[in-house]
Amino acid sequence: MAEPAAQTAFAEEALTHLDTLYRGALRLTHDPDAAQDLVQEAYLRALRYQHSYQAGTNMKAWLFAIMRNLFWDRFKGSRKDDVSLDDVGEFVLYEKLRDEGARPEADVLDKIAASEVVSAVDKLPPLHREVVLLVDVEGFSYKDAAQTLGVPIGTVMSRLHRARQQLQKSLYDYARESGIVRPNGPTQVAQT
Amino acid sequence: MKCEECSDKLDRYVDRELTNTEALEIQLHLEGCPDCMEHYEFQSHLKRLVKHSCECDTAPKAFREKLRQILS
Repeated sequence: MAEPAAQTAFAEEALTHLDTLYRGALRLTHDPDAAQDLVQEAYLRALRYQHSYQAGTNMKAWLFAIMRNLFWDRFKGSRKDDVSLDDVGEFVLYEKLRDEGARPEADVLDKIAASEVVSAVDKLPPLHREVVLLVDVEGFSYKDAAQTLGVPIGTVMSRLHRARQQLQKSLYDYARESGIVRPNGPTQVAQT
Repeated sequence: MKCEECSDKLDRYVDRELTNTEALEIQLHLEGCPDCMEHYEFQSHLKRLVKHSCECDTAPKAFREKLRQILS
């Protein structure tokens, strides 16, 4: 066990990454209580294995890896085969909106509520969701994301690509259903 | 650089995952191509939207304090 002062310093540094871990856990479990349980367990495990953390390296990535491994062990029974993602083909939201004459395209994004974006992220299969969380939300490099997830960089890139396609398709469907974009209607983005 | 190549590399450019040379090539293309620049700005906007939307969730204060006590 580390000296008390060293343990305190370690815990303090680890807690600076709490929001990242909590957000990740919440998006993975979809349940605030389960997310807190998962994060607490991750921190306890991190404290137990702090000797394996190399000072000066990416503690956020190290903690996230512990948390997501626990998620797969405890919540998913280590089954990582639920990677099914509907094949939406090459769906590029920008091109879709441009083709439908919704201009300016970026105005559509301004009209989509944050809750709808979170909902679209939540609909992604966990293996794809966690890549979006790491790269798009937490700003991890592909390399750090690959190390955190224990997969090659190419896998990070392919999962990210497919996740973004699905995400854009979900946001497009929402924009259509909510009238933000009107099919075969006026060429302007609907004003709210 | 052709628009197709720019489009292929756009995600990695937005994610800052290209080499300096590749990024410079994209930058030069974007400066001379309004269509690709518009696409780039849209993709950047989308990435920011995902980030800001998901960042709204933060750990509850009571949970933070509980953890601090457990870990100390």
